[in-house]
Amino acid sequence: MAMPVGSVIIAFAAGAVIVAVTGGNPFNAYAGLVCGGFGIACTQGENPALQISNTIVFTIPLIATGVAVALPFRAGLFNIGAEGQLLAGSIACTAIGIKFNTLPTVVLLPMVLLGGMVAGALWAGVAGVLKATVGAHEVVTTIMMNYVAQWLLRYLIIGGPLQLAAGTSKSSPIGPGAELPTILPASNSIIIFGLPSSVFRVHMGLLIALAAAAVFAFLLWRTSLGYEIRAVGQSQRAARYAGVSVRRTIIVTMLIAGAFSGLAGAVQVAGVDHNLTDKFFSDTTGFDAIAVALLGLGSATGIVLAALLFGALHAGGSVMQADAGISGNLVLVLQALILFSIAANFVGAIRQRLPFGRAPAAPGAGPPSAGLMTEAAAPAEPKTT
Amino acid sequence: MVMACGGSSGGGGTTKTYKIGLVTDVGGLNDKSFNHLAYLGLQKAITDFKVQGDVTESKTGDDYIPNLTNFASKGYDLVIGVGFLMQEAIGTVSGQFPAVHFAIIDGTGTDAQGNDLKHANVESLLFREQDAGAMVGVIAGMLEKQGKAKKNLHVIGAVGGVSIPPVNRYIAGYKWAAAMEDPSIKVLIGYSNDFTDPAKCKGVAQSQINQGADILFQVAGGCGLGVLQAAGQASVYSIGVDADQKDADPSVIASALKKVDVATYTSIKDVVNGQFTSGTLTFSIANDGAGYALDNFTLPADIQAEVNSVQAKIKAGTLTPPADIPA
Repeated sequence: MAMPVGSVIIAFAAGAVIVAVTGGNPFNAYAGLVCGGFGIACTQGENPALQISNTIVFTIPLIATGVAVALPFRAGLFNIGAEGQLLAGSIACTAIGIKFNTLPTVVLLPMVLLGGMVAGALWAGVAGVLKATVGAHEVVTTIMMNYVAQWLLRYLIIGGPLQLAAGTSKSSPIGPGAELPTILPASNSIIIFGLPSSVFRVHMGLLIALAAAAVFAFLLWRTSLGYEIRAVGQSQRAARYAGVSVRRTIIVTMLIAGAFSGLAGAVQVAGVDHNLTDKFFSDTTGFDAIAVALLGLGSATGIVLAALLFGALHAGGSVMQADAGISGNLVLVLQALILFSIAANFVGAIRQRLPFGRAPAAPGAGPPSAGLMTEAAAPAEPKTT
Repeated sequence: MVMACGGSSGGGGTTKTYKIGLVTDVGGLNDKSFNHLAYLGLQKAITDFKVQGDVTESKTGDDYIPNLTNFASKGYDLVIGVGFLMQEAIGTVSGQFPAVHFAIIDGTGTDAQGNDLKHANVESLLFREQDAGAMVGVIAGMLEKQGKAKKNLHVIGAVGGVSIPPVNRYIAGYKWAAAMEDPSIKVLIGYSNDFTDPAKCKGVAQSQINQGADILFQVAGGCGLGVLQAAGQASVYSIGVDADQKDADPSVIASALKKVDVATYTSIKDVVNGQFTSGTLTFSIANDGAGYALDNFTLPADIQAEVNSVQAKIKAGTLTPPADIPA
């Protein structure tokens, strides 16, 4: 735990220096960030429930895509394609949700979510098959597949078959049966926490995302497939010697990872947007997921917590700018500093230099980033599930 | 409570500090274009009316609704959304907060189908971009006609972001006016399908330059900066959009202006004066809400005279640039 927490502290300390040097007040900045992210210590009339709701809405897709990055890490694969897989999932969800827009929820909702998972799995599966058969590096192929997904999306909603009408850059809305219900009623007239209840956009996708994290943990630590994934990640040779089909494991891992990302995309459309818009051109969820997976040390609990932190940073950045006048881009700086701090293992370096202690690094405390990217080395297994 | 009803109507504006929230689209405040102009309008209003003005930049399209809701839930008097891309978000949030005033640049508050919801608390700030497009179209047409451009093939270009109404109105006025001045002119029109990535617009611009275009009009926000760069590298002329883009590249000879600052200022002024009106406010050459700027180029006197003449005619209503791109 020391490593991720320490990295976040280092990032925030560095961020405070940046704010102070550029003429801002770091205390006001972080007060705004905490208020906007968690709804506490608000000073300018913000509604705490609204802030928490916004944070959770941003957290939901980060959990599922974080899992989609973490699972291949365990097999020694670096899935940079979560964004493309998410887009594939959102496209499939929208296409099905429009095509069958008259079906009832019991039929259509499972269809759009499963459709999103299948689309994401296929998108990632391409990279898996290429890696397993001709050895094409998944970093390259998943990045390329991101571009393919982005341009496919552009085509579909600008001049393509999903375009709402000429002169728009969005699709028609999905059928009502494809929408994931919000947890509070979506009404402008019911007042909850002092605001119309429709402003609280937290939706049932929260439960789906938490379930995805649980499935990930179960799969990895309680199934033979999970054992094979970890074996391949630690040493492909040893795994092969032990009778594990490395090729099959790589392909299956990517398929499952893609299904998680595709689910994230489908849940986003079904729960929040209800259509495809040009906002997906500038979406970065799948890339933030890489940081979430690293910060969460690849464990299910860690990913949920890291996703919550990144969701809070996203939601809090806007409030910070409105309240303290500090550019919301500080949030991007903080995210980068967190990632940088993990990658450079500042915490480990600091610990090594301390006169006392100099304890050997505890298992699992090392930076996962360095080891995970090579197939020879993998992080020591955490003792927890 | 009875006391509040007394006194002269509208007299309360001097004691109350009005709170104005401005939400940019993903272009951000440094887009050198309409988000920046909206900010300038807000700054002027802060100075003139002593209002409290706060800004939130949207980092992704996911931020539109939360950012608008944050201001609305805090009881701001006016929440301004900058840009066509925010139409649906304005439609949603204005329905949730009927007591808060909303204004949107370049759009209306719509539902998911794109239908105007006509909420009584929403003011649409629209522009006759074709007026501004026509002014730079006159300049381009005259330069081609007189052989004063770089290649003199009577070919000019326009690079749009996405084929949406505000973009096409600019191009419509540009093409219409250029053809009016130089009937033999050929106007190439391309779209990058993007508003933020200069590389995408640069590619479209280079293709037009290869087809002989020597004056390029960018109508693509931040993406369009790539058009100006491509023109500079190929030593042809370019025309900026929305704000005066003189400093973006030496190739910029003029800019078509959409005075988003004037529109933003006007809507704040209306709220402060208790004159907020729902529906559409249109800004055009006639009310100095649109126009042009001359940049890194000295316009010959006869072209300047023609530009002045066309501007006067549009202002008087005897010439009307079309809203749809002419065939």
